[in-house]
Amino acid sequence: MVDDLTAPVGSRGRGQMMGQGFAGLALVAAPLVLLIVLVLFPTVSMVANTFHVTGEGGRAFSLAKFAAFFADDYSVENLRYTLVWTVISCGTALSISLGLALYLRFSEGRIATMIHALSLFPLFVPAIVISYAMVRFLGPNGLFQLLLEKVGFTGYTTPYLTPVGPYIAFVWESLPLPVLVLSAGLAQVSDHAIEAARDLGAGPVRIFSQILLPQLKRSLLIGFALIFLGVVGSFTVPYLLGPPAPEMMGVYMQRTLGNMRPEEAQVQAVILMAVAAIVGGFYIATMLRNQRSR
Amino acid sequence: MRRSKTPFGGLILLAAMGLAMLGPIMTVMVWAFAVKWRYPNLVPSEWGLKYWHVILGRSTVIEPILTSLALTSVATTLAALICWPAAYAFARLQFPGRQLLLFSFIAANAVPKFTLFVSIAVVFLQLGMVGTFWGVVMVQMLSAILFMIWIPTAAFRGIPPALEEAGFDLGASRLRVFWSITLPQAMPALAASYVLAFVAIMFEVDSALLIGAPKITTMPLLMLSLSAQVIVQEAAVLCVMIWVPCFALLLLTRRFMSSKGIAQGFGA
Repeated sequence: MVDDLTAPVGSRGRGQMMGQGFAGLALVAAPLVLLIVLVLFPTVSMVANTFHVTGEGGRAFSLAKFAAFFADDYSVENLRYTLVWTVISCGTALSISLGLALYLRFSEGRIATMIHALSLFPLFVPAIVISYAMVRFLGPNGLFQLLLEKVGFTGYTTPYLTPVGPYIAFVWESLPLPVLVLSAGLAQVSDHAIEAARDLGAGPVRIFSQILLPQLKRSLLIGFALIFLGVVGSFTVPYLLGPPAPEMMGVYMQRTLGNMRPEEAQVQAVILMAVAAIVGGFYIATMLRNQRSR
Repeated sequence: MRRSKTPFGGLILLAAMGLAMLGPIMTVMVWAFAVKWRYPNLVPSEWGLKYWHVILGRSTVIEPILTSLALTSVATTLAALICWPAAYAFARLQFPGRQLLLFSFIAANAVPKFTLFVSIAVVFLQLGMVGTFWGVVMVQMLSAILFMIWIPTAAFRGIPPALEEAGFDLGASRLRVFWSITLPQAMPALAASYVLAFVAIMFEVDSALLIGAPKITTMPLLMLSLSAQVIVQEAAVLCVMIWVPCFALLLLTRRFMSSKGIAQGFGA
């Protein structure tokens, strides 16, 4: 995306370059202002706020708000719960996507096309729609239970309102992007390399671990980051499908804000942002490296 | 190259994927047209449009839909007006800080949106903008920016420069070349970015909940409250009524969006 256009169309002479510089900045100014007003300013002021307390002596630097968060068992449990299930969801979604991407890389024909289309389907389904659909599909006496009972299996207990409920929905809605990213990565491995390895007697496991996997490292990292960032701050899925307690951080923040405790909500948001920043940092670094090597 | 010889494994995978990916949505489709569906029947015992009449005859349902349509149209259109020119600049003009600015738009995607909305909500609370139409519009525009910058930027870049250069050589101004050559070629992608942003905003719960509620009730917020109700059909009807047309629109955009393009947009 950020690759360089060395000679822009219609750029001739210095005078025009200057004109372009001015016109370019003018054209990007409006969305930039929006980004500054709605992303940069609120975030900076929020972070600053959480590191300060206002007492008798005015505003002073303090870690008291964070100390309060980590001293509260329920808050810590919510954070732990969010991270654990986010990582589990990432692992599952990434494994399934990898399987699908590998299958699609080595298959063709109508069945493969249909499987590809099915794996991209969640791109077209908003979180609120799939959450509601999962309630009706996986919930008590839902269609899934009915189908199981028709084939003679009666021991179904619904994941609805347990941590597994949102987990299933997370995996469901997380499939398309890693499938796309991993497929793009696998497409870069030439058929010749794989054929050569096979001629030398390498089995599928060997080909996967020695030829495909090293090429896929960046794609896997990007896939992981995309799923993680999508799941960790989600609200709708855990709100509709998850247990009342513990809560995912999205649900927790919403409830805290709704209870008119904005300062606590800010602390929760900053902590979640910090966690996401670690993963987001890897994502951005990988993205930049990919752009440079293209 | 070995291609899988046994379609059997493929068929099993297809069946599993079909059930997993389409099963939940199918359930909703059936519920929307079910009048009576009692356990343990695999299909409803009575079909009909009864709940469509119920839903459409209720002002508490129609109003949020109209609110959502108004909010989404305004936010998406405003976002298009400011983002498309910026995308053209990113693709075709040289100016200081171009790379960094384009990157900052894409990197904003790496921040969890919900935390952003919390920070905005606190600022808006102090400014009295929570629960106002324009407050929600501003936040929704933020959700549109991602689609509206990177898809159009890629589209403008994908237009072969030769045609535009021919225009310049014949003495046409930049504006003329843009209007007669660049814009017509970029139009499908621009339309696609509009549809994608429109649908994303239309169904966005987070911004509406943190910035709009309780004064502004949007369609997704209505769905959120209907989802937990005893009468299953109402949310199902709403789902089918709003989502199916959106799905059809989104399918149209697929033609202008390659899988590779999407993957590249996310940095693959």
